[in-house]
Amino acid sequence: MFEARLVNCAVFKKVLEAIKELLNEASFDCSESGIQLQAMDVSHVSLVSLMLKSDGFDKYRCDRNITMGMNLASMSKIFKCANPDDTVTIKAQDDADTVTFMFESKKQEKISDYGMKLMNLDQEHLGIPETNFSCVIRMPSGEFARICRDLSQFGESLVISCTKEGVRFSTNGDIGSANIKLAQTNNFEKEDESVTIELQEPVTLTFACQYLNHFTKATPLSGQVQLSMSDNVPLLVEYVIKELGHIRYYLAPKIEEDEN
Amino acid sequence: MCLYQFLIAVRSEGAQLTSVDGETTSHLMGMFYRTIRLLESGIKPVYVFDGKPPEMKSGELGKRAEKRAEAQKALDKATEAGDTAEVDKFTRRLVKVTKQHGEEAKELLALMGVPYIDAPCEAEAQCAALVKAGKVFATATEDMDALTFGSSVLLRHMTFSEARKMPIQEIHLSKILESMDLTLDQFIDLCILLGCDYTDSIKGIGPKKAVALINEHKSIEEILKNIDTTKYPPPENWSYKAARRLFVEPEVTDPETIELKWSDPDEEGVVRFLCGDKQFSEERVRNGIKKIMKSRSGSTQSRLDGFFKVLSTTPAKRKSEDSKKNTPNKKGKMASGGRGRKPK
Repeated sequence: MFEARLVNCAVFKKVLEAIKELLNEASFDCSESGIQLQAMDVSHVSLVSLMLKSDGFDKYRCDRNITMGMNLASMSKIFKCANPDDTVTIKAQDDADTVTFMFESKKQEKISDYGMKLMNLDQEHLGIPETNFSCVIRMPSGEFARICRDLSQFGESLVISCTKEGVRFSTNGDIGSANIKLAQTNNFEKEDESVTIELQEPVTLTFACQYLNHFTKATPLSGQVQLSMSDNVPLLVEYVIKELGHIRYYLAPKIEEDEN
Repeated sequence: MCLYQFLIAVRSEGAQLTSVDGETTSHLMGMFYRTIRLLESGIKPVYVFDGKPPEMKSGELGKRAEKRAEAQKALDKATEAGDTAEVDKFTRRLVKVTKQHGEEAKELLALMGVPYIDAPCEAEAQCAALVKAGKVFATATEDMDALTFGSSVLLRHMTFSEARKMPIQEIHLSKILESMDLTLDQFIDLCILLGCDYTDSIKGIGPKKAVALINEHKSIEEILKNIDTTKYPPPENWSYKAARRLFVEPEVTDPETIELKWSDPDEEGVVRFLCGDKQFSEERVRNGIKKIMKSRSGSTQSRLDGFFKVLSTTPAKRKSEDSKKNTPNKKGKMASGGRGRKPK
């Protein structure tokens, strides 16, 4: 028997929004420690790693580890039927082929049940090596979303270069070039609004805007985003989901091709 | 292979596209735009041209010549009868790639900065050697012989037009051998049994029987010892050994001596070559060149598989049952392909 209850289903809605553009379907691995998801997009360029800790839920019970393959578009349809302040309970029997989402309105006067068929999915678990990143940038998530959106109008790739002075986002395209530079700002009163950089050595990497724009769908989940980069390894974009866990995106860099 | 397709497919109102003095240019048109499409998708193509056919292929080539002669007759008949649809059909069958077509295509590739290789003999064999040496990722062809020659990866339907919505088929030789429980030598013998370009096969032994025989006896020698040769007479002077040698040690240029180099296209050169006498539209050619330049300047997207290692794969339960069902299918597919039909 698996059961997980969240008083505020809005968080779950946002999580769904944050992954459904990259993935069509995904396997949710439920265990005692929580709900986990790891999946690559079809082109194997990016990876989503989601962790929702069991103690972040208002009620959590998982007798046996189960993996539930779900179609995210269908799931999203179901969550559209719920109000953000509804309480959601996710339930599944062991070895079940369906999962049930139950929504209770705030005053408990309305209860809706949605059963969804589970899918049998091929799963590949990737080992992600611990990396000591050369630079870690923390910045307001809204700002990052804005930069990705703005610059993607100009070109397909975004160059992120980080030095001790600050971080620079730039792109080139048919109409010209665009550059945005952010300096470190420590705003102790409003931590969410500060830009901080931890730097071992400067890094410059190129990424496809298209994927970054998918990642920034997670913006509503967290006020800050953390970008971790090292030369020639995938970018890590992390959004912390307060009290519940995190969502991490990995993106393989674009590699400049040298002659031959 | 490609050139045949172009000469057949690229036509306007039934006639081939031609230059002012009546020389065909369909092949160049196809070559030009297809190469651009490949480059734009981030693929770095290497073209391999067939060399002289192996002597053993003369039988197969003879058959093809016969078919041509038949088509020619049918064409004459249709022309007399004035049946345009039939005329069109048989003209297509009569298309032949000439040496000049090949030379022109090579000239165009050189101007576009795309490498090509003249195979000493069969192009598929040369491709297989390149794949094995790790010079290229895969052989893209419709000719299944590429697998018999030992290409580790074969791509089919690679250059089908997008309108056909045909997904590219990626065939891994290692997986085939594993799933059929064969060694490469046994696989080659199987392909010979199924029929190849070089020699005849035994009458009455189809794909099913051939697979069973190879699984049981492991080689053609053993099969011949064990089957009833009166019921299944092997072809006269059956030169399966020579055919096998052609597959195992084909005549190829050592891939290590081949240097593949993609370079910037020579815009003026291409324009001079294609426009003018060959009547290509200069604007469209220049646009095409621009696309090549763009694809060259862009960086390539790497994939996560290169960075993260797969720890475990859990195939879906239902899928594993499916794959069992699929195995006979796969064999069937290979059987039909083993015949290595070339020009269509």
